[in-house]
Amino acid sequence: MVATLDGETIEQLQPVMGYLHRNHEKIGERNTYIMNMPFTDRLDYFCSLSNNLGYAPAVENLLALGKRYEPPTYRAEVIRVLMVELTRILNHMVAVGFLLNDMGAYFTPMMYAITERELILDFFEAATGSRMMCNYMRFGGVFKDLPERMRSEASLLNDKVRDENTIEYLRALINERLPRAIDQFDEYLTGSEIVTNRCMGVGVLTQADAIAYSAAGPVLRASGVPYDVRRADPYSIYPDLDFDVAVRYHGDVYDRYLVRLDEMRQSIRILKQILPLLDETEGQPFFAGSPKYALRVPAGESYGRVENPKGELGYYVVSDGGQNPWRYHVRAPSFINLTALEKMCVGQKVADTVIILGSIDIVLGEVDR
Amino acid sequence: MYGQGILRGLKVTFQHIFESYMDDIRWNFRRYRSPEAFPERQGVAARGVFTVQYPEEKLAVPERFRFIPFLVVDNYDHPDEERRGHDWCTSCGICAKVCPPQCIWIVRGTNPETGRPVPEPEEFYIDIDICMNCGLCAEFCPFDAIKMDHDYELSSYDRTSAHIYNKQQLSKEFRYWQSIAPTTAEEEANARGGWEHKDVLKQQAKEAKARAKAEQAASDTD
Ligand code: SF4
Ligand code: SF4
Repeated sequence: MVATLDGETIEQLQPVMGYLHRNHEKIGERNTYIMNMPFTDRLDYFCSLSNNLGYAPAVENLLALGKRYEPPTYRAEVIRVLMVELTRILNHMVAVGFLLNDMGAYFTPMMYAITERELILDFFEAATGSRMMCNYMRFGGVFKDLPERMRSEASLLNDKVRDENTIEYLRALINERLPRAIDQFDEYLTGSEIVTNRCMGVGVLTQADAIAYSAAGPVLRASGVPYDVRRADPYSIYPDLDFDVAVRYHGDVYDRYLVRLDEMRQSIRILKQILPLLDETEGQPFFAGSPKYALRVPAGESYGRVENPKGELGYYVVSDGGQNPWRYHVRAPSFINLTALEKMCVGQKVADTVIILGSIDIVLGEVDR
Repeated sequence: MYGQGILRGLKVTFQHIFESYMDDIRWNFRRYRSPEAFPERQGVAARGVFTVQYPEEKLAVPERFRFIPFLVVDNYDHPDEERRGHDWCTSCGICAKVCPPQCIWIVRGTNPETGRPVPEPEEFYIDIDICMNCGLCAEFCPFDAIKMDHDYELSSYDRTSAHIYNKQQLSKEFRYWQSIAPTTAEEEANARGGWEHKDVLKQQAKEAKARAKAEQAASDTD
């Protein structure tokens, strides 16, 4: 950031981007369609699964133009939503933790958040094979069905084993552990005078500005715009699910924090509806069609968008009928939210820019692609 | 009253402190040593400290865990002597094609006498610095010959040449794959139709068919 100051007050502020630029989009044009999937993990490395979910429909939409297209099976959609909502909780947990870190509560709230995240990551690891770089979604479904047990008893290289039934683990996590953790956060932080003094009225982004900067996600919803891609342009099985779009009206740091808390609660609500669906679809196919490594995609263009925890994530894919995309572009929410930083910071104190930045919740892997 | 929120927050912190010591008392101050304590303090019901004392204790990785791939070769004590240590890989090149960062390098094997290609790679390199552990190679290999490993402790003192694995370093017995991923290995065996390599199974099926035919012919002439 380059800031011009008047004493302690910010007069001008410019986020300087590009230090982590690694040619994601150009590499994406060299890669075949399936090869891009693991690269999308590396955009927003906290929520690799929802990045996957954004890319899969973008290509599926194109595939649908051709003959013999099979849409993802119902079970695949259920698993996808399960994964994505867990990702949302995980991301917001960490976002709140880091916000408090920026505020000076050095790592205590963060570690409470990380504990819960750890449990979710354990599940991801068992289901997808990796904790953060999941590479789980495929065009037409998911990589593999949920495993029966969390960890194998027979693993050679390790001595300590936690062997649990996956569904029971999930049930305990969703019904007890996570709601309790969210309530605890609420009790821990929401009323705390340190938090309210530091956050209320700081970094205000008005409704009009938020729209003008095309901000998305919690930043937009905290400014009083109830816009959520899951409702505005429903995808997957979201139309059948029951949830509310969290919205707050002051547009300050405190409201962004509250929106995140509300969203976690809504995610829990979705997950509770997902659990019976998982039981219902048990044993059904999780993949439609046969997996192909050199996929030919009909010519055309498509834009796949999803509500990532950080905002609207879009993939613009143009195909010329070959094996790799002709153009591949990512609309990264962190990047676009970051452009609104100056608006929020002007007139504030230097110390506040840190928490304003924390409240936008950016991930640099996504800001610079 | 001002400060009430802080006090309420601190209550949560104190609860956490209390719980972490409660654990000690519950496990008789042997929380880090008794093997039964581990799954519990790392499970969903855990309340206290969540730390794993690496490297004294290690978390078991799940079966699907992916790390640097390895090549499956037949067991060194395979009943068929010719198959001992035989590569499952047929050097078809699909994994090298699908690898996103393009870190696999295969040299096709040729028969030195006839000059014809043989279904076994001469050389097989993976640059493990570049490998992103995505697992696509293992997913798309038609012969189940490349699999993701579980061994994640690979640090070395030399980062130039030690990190390019050759065929010898990559090869591991089939038994090893069965041991780290029993359920997946079984699924794959079911899909192939047996525990052997696809080609062997095909060969066996062919022989069985020929034998059946011969028997049939023999019984017909009788
Ligand atoms: S895809 Fe399998 S059989 Fe083909 S070259 Fe790779 S490891 Fe060998
Ligand atoms: S795991 Fe991925 S990056 Fe590594 S060798 Fe296999 S395909 Fe390549």
